[in-house]
Amino acid sequence: MVGSKKKPNKSSERSHKPHIKKKLNPFEVHINREKLKVLGKKNKNDRGLPGVSREKALKKRKHTLQQEFKLHNKANRFVDKRIGEGDVNMTEEDRFIARYAKLKSKHHKKSIFNLADEEVLTHKGQALSEIEKFEDTKSDDDESIEGDKIGNLDENFVDEAHFGGGVLKRTGIDGAKSHKDLIDQLIAESKKRKAEKQKLKEETLELTEKLDSEWKDLLPLVNKTKSTKATPELEKADEYDKTVKQLKFEARGTPSDRLKSEDEIAKEEREKLEQLEKETTADDLEDNFAYESDTEVTLSYNQEGEANLVLEAELNGKTILPKNDDKENEGSDEDDKESVSEEESEAEDDLSDLKGSESVSESENEYFSTNTEDKIKPEAIRDDLLKRKEIMDKAREELPYTYKFPASYEELQLLLQFESSERQFMILERLIKCNHPSLGSNNKENLNLLFAYLLQYINDIAEVKTIEDISKCFSTFSNLVPHIFNLAEMSPLNAHTLVLDVLKEKHQCYRKHKLAYPDIEVLLFLKLVSCVFPTSDFRHVVVTPAIVFIDQMLNKCKVRTRRDIAYGLFLTTLVLEYTTLAKRFLPSAINFLKGILHMAIPKAGIKLIKICPPFKTSSNALVLCNNCNESTISLTMNVSYLLNGEIDDEFKMRAIYLSSCLLKEFVTNFAELDSSYEIFSTIMEYINAIPMNNYPVEVKEKFKSLEEEINRIKSNRRLKYLTVAKPKPKALRLYEPRIEKVYDTKKRRIESREKAEQNKLLHKLKRERKGALREIRRDNAFISRLRINEQIQSDNVRKAKVRKLLSDASIQQSELNTLDRKKKRKK
Amino acid sequence: MQIEVIPLKPVEPTVEHQYCQWLRNLYEETWNKILTAFDNSSIKIQTQALSSSMNILTCEGRYPLEQKGLLECYIPLNRLKLILMKILSNKQHNLHLIVKFEEYLLYDDMLFYVWKVLPSLTAKSNPNDIYIMNYLLFLEKLQVKCNNEARTLCTSGGMNTDFNFDETTVKRCLNKIWNCIILWEHTPATHKQLLIVLLEKVLPYLDKPLLLTDFLMDSLDVGGPVSLLALQGIFTMIQVYNLDYPNIFAKLYSMFEPEIFHTKFKPRLFYLADLFLSSTHLPENLVAAFAKRLARLALVAPSEDIIIICMFIGNLILRHPGLKCLLNHSIGGTTTNDPYIMEERDPLKSNAINSSLWEIHTLQNHALPNVATAATFINNPLPSIEWDMSKVLESTGDNIFDKELKRNCKMVALAFDKSNKFALSKCEKVFNYWNFY
Repeated sequence: MVGSKKKPNKSSERSHKPHIKKKLNPFEVHINREKLKVLGKKNKNDRGLPGVSREKALKKRKHTLQQEFKLHNKANRFVDKRIGEGDVNMTEEDRFIARYAKLKSKHHKKSIFNLADEEVLTHKGQALSEIEKFEDTKSDDDESIEGDKIGNLDENFVDEAHFGGGVLKRTGIDGAKSHKDLIDQLIAESKKRKAEKQKLKEETLELTEKLDSEWKDLLPLVNKTKSTKATPELEKADEYDKTVKQLKFEARGTPSDRLKSEDEIAKEEREKLEQLEKETTADDLEDNFAYESDTEVTLSYNQEGEANLVLEAELNGKTILPKNDDKENEGSDEDDKESVSEEESEAEDDLSDLKGSESVSESENEYFSTNTEDKIKPEAIRDDLLKRKEIMDKAREELPYTYKFPASYEELQLLLQFESSERQFMILERLIKCNHPSLGSNNKENLNLLFAYLLQYINDIAEVKTIEDISKCFSTFSNLVPHIFNLAEMSPLNAHTLVLDVLKEKHQCYRKHKLAYPDIEVLLFLKLVSCVFPTSDFRHVVVTPAIVFIDQMLNKCKVRTRRDIAYGLFLTTLVLEYTTLAKRFLPSAINFLKGILHMAIPKAGIKLIKICPPFKTSSNALVLCNNCNESTISLTMNVSYLLNGEIDDEFKMRAIYLSSCLLKEFVTNFAELDSSYEIFSTIMEYINAIPMNNYPVEVKEKFKSLEEEINRIKSNRRLKYLTVAKPKPKALRLYEPRIEKVYDTKKRRIESREKAEQNKLLHKLKRERKGALREIRRDNAFISRLRINEQIQSDNVRKAKVRKLLSDASIQQSELNTLDRKKKRKK
Repeated sequence: MQIEVIPLKPVEPTVEHQYCQWLRNLYEETWNKILTAFDNSSIKIQTQALSSSMNILTCEGRYPLEQKGLLECYIPLNRLKLILMKILSNKQHNLHLIVKFEEYLLYDDMLFYVWKVLPSLTAKSNPNDIYIMNYLLFLEKLQVKCNNEARTLCTSGGMNTDFNFDETTVKRCLNKIWNCIILWEHTPATHKQLLIVLLEKVLPYLDKPLLLTDFLMDSLDVGGPVSLLALQGIFTMIQVYNLDYPNIFAKLYSMFEPEIFHTKFKPRLFYLADLFLSSTHLPENLVAAFAKRLARLALVAPSEDIIIICMFIGNLILRHPGLKCLLNHSIGGTTTNDPYIMEERDPLKSNAINSSLWEIHTLQNHALPNVATAATFINNPLPSIEWDMSKVLESTGDNIFDKELKRNCKMVALAFDKSNKFALSKCEKVFNYWNFY
């Protein structure tokens, strides 16, 4: 179709364009008159070339439609398959070349059967390919250049012999020689020369070869002289250059063992444990000990890749000395063991120099990585080390090194329940190492499960009745915390959801009895939250609900018994721990401490000292009646007070001491707050109302410092009147060009983007259809014109034929008539 | 008026009559036994006794022993009286019985006759507090208007449109009762209950409510929830009966004490204070004193109340644009001491208008994030609409807890410093202050 938007070929376009421009006939241009003139509006359709475009369309139709029409109703047709015939790009010459190339290639098509038909180019009978190796150059040119002279006869000789010399030269002497002699002489001469030449040539060849070989011998000598020339130059180079060179080529870092990835470390640790396990089981075979994980051990391999069985045999073959010493003598390759042995020996030798070896042992010790930055007193370190040594000893003696993952919570409980807290620490450590996520695909899930189990375990150990129980519970807890933290690190999301679930559950329990403090495990969980999660965040998924929980308890729960007081104090300590870093303020904690102080004020009948609930205005529970001036007990609070019991003087002192300590911390924390003095002002009243005589000196001092602190806040504070931040000054008005909106009369419908798109497409479709119809109409007109032309042509032909026939007939008739007439005349 | 005396016919001692007599004796005996069951210690039995006796009463009402009189609805009043006497006992608290009895009060006739009987049961002299408590609890359940569904208990059909619930009679009874009650000597508990009953049930129906003014004023001085209730009464009086009470704001002011947050009446106080301070014609220094006092209280209040207080103060400032000086001091500068005097009883003299809301600024450091955000309102330009307190008035710590759980933040974060075995992390406090061994 004509209307198709095929791009015309570029070359033809290029050739056409200047052509049209040149031929722009002013009579052909039709100018479209504008009804309204708009300034700056670009009009594409201001002029048209009707004639040109019509001609173009006609031409196109001729090429397409007419051709098609011609072939209309034809069963077959001629196709021009000559090369390059349909291609417009090719010139006539190109076509010829292409055709010729095709022909040639066809001609040269190699037949696989015709072997002889190979064209080999030769030079002097040799194939070019052979010559081109250029192996022996000399032979050829020698012959070619000198061949004429050598092979052929002398010039004079030829002159004389062939042409007889001349008239003048014919003398008697010469003439004496017969012709035969002459020929013989000629041949001999020629042969002699050839032989000479040959000899000479061979000699030179020989000499050349000799020279070549000698040159090769000489070559190293030549090189040597060159190198000896270079070295003195290097020596001459000055110091600066040397150092630069040195620095340049200096090794920047020595290759060493790369850092081990976490996975590798985990794997190594596990292997180590297995190794240790293997050895202990080997020992235990002697001691008639049996462990659960015995079977697992047989599967393990030591670090050298030796099977376990072999090693056992070896050990069994040996006479095993008392365990520890034996192993130390063996110098086992385990790092931690070494460190232990070091510790041991040093502990035995001299305890005082342990401090020096602290860093060494600690760096080697992988089990307890305490932060050395912490200011730990040397005594504490020593105690620590001693304790650890004991732990290690014990653990090594009795604990298996590898653990299967417990299938259920009960199994884990069984594993841990009856062990001491330190040993629980070890067991868990090994359990986690053996099940590190990098060691197995489902270990991650297992550890998630272990996390849940541990939370349950904490819940269970908190069911305590006696003082021993509670201290064990807390020490166990403190041993569990690092592991829980590790586990949480491995899958933080899991830790969040689990701890949050626990909090939810505990809060649900608490809701049933809002006025009583819940059980001790709640304290443990809240402490755990502060250990595992960041307490300084403004809002945290787990920590915030925990604070809400604490806040609620401190606000609501009645404070009557010793347990209540201790529980509340523990919570307040927790609040301090939660809020210290971000210096956040929780009123209920301060209220609670106020209440504790209030309890220590002896209430006279008339004067009421106010206190917020949940405390009672008349409570005298903590009033210290006996004189404890001389008491020397440690004033640190004890967790055992969390159990039910009587309020004794010791407890009273400790509670008051603890609350004053906490208050002091709070005071320093909140010193920056605007209303800090208002928060603590009532405390001053309470402190003044507490009779100090009965308390020990330490408490008195604490109170005094607390009082001073509050006074300091009062005197130091500078209250800035609150002001709202001033709004930014408005920018001056700028004289920008005033832009007016132009309203055109076109109505623009407000419609959605999809709808607008669709309308646009519909509009386009309409226009396209119109255009197509127009084209079809023109096509029809073209074809009918063709038909009519054809008709007219055929009619004309027919007419001509008829005319011719008629004229022939009339001629014939006329001839007949003339004949007739003649006949008549003859008659 | 002539009364025709019909001489009673001697009853014929027929067998049938004897049988009737015997049955009636039995009936009376049973009735007495049921009544004694009220004194049983078991609550179950007491409740059962009530329902049984009421059943009997209903049946008797439907099928009266004696000939029905002119009354269309008949309730054996003597029996009802006995039951009520048991309920209004002076020996034990009968809340469960009263709750149970409430079911019967849905019937118009029963309600009406109870009102009618009640004046005769009201003690004239000082009864003991158990009786008063029972009585007031009972009174709280009684409606003055008839029920929406006109149902009657003691008619055979169950629905009797003929029964006429006479509201004026009931009101008269109520006034009669109230005059007695007001003279009783009240303990704090009954005083509170009395005020609740007064406010919720009685006040609109009293003939001369202004007579209560003295009573309410006395109550106002008691302190605590009682005075709060009295305050509400006075507010109603001011609003409806044009009472003029001079020092009402000072009273309201004195009610804002730290203890208030731990009573049940906290929402009521905030509601009332909101009402009292809704007038835009109050002096600025008075309102400023309220705002400042509330801010001080926020320093000791539970978290959920701090949110309310923040909104409340915000609303006060919105209503009284003059208070903006509390947030935006005209000159700025610093001071060493808060000019506001907390101890001053009179709000007008508390010098609050020269102060600033530092307390709210302090609370921006509250440990709970939503409290801290609630306190940030002083930093931002005030909104054009007041905060809606009705949603938060009843919220508790549980709500805050649930809200935090629902927040469902996906961000996970662990503590940055690892706690090792001996828990020597940077902000470790528990291990510093507590001994585990």
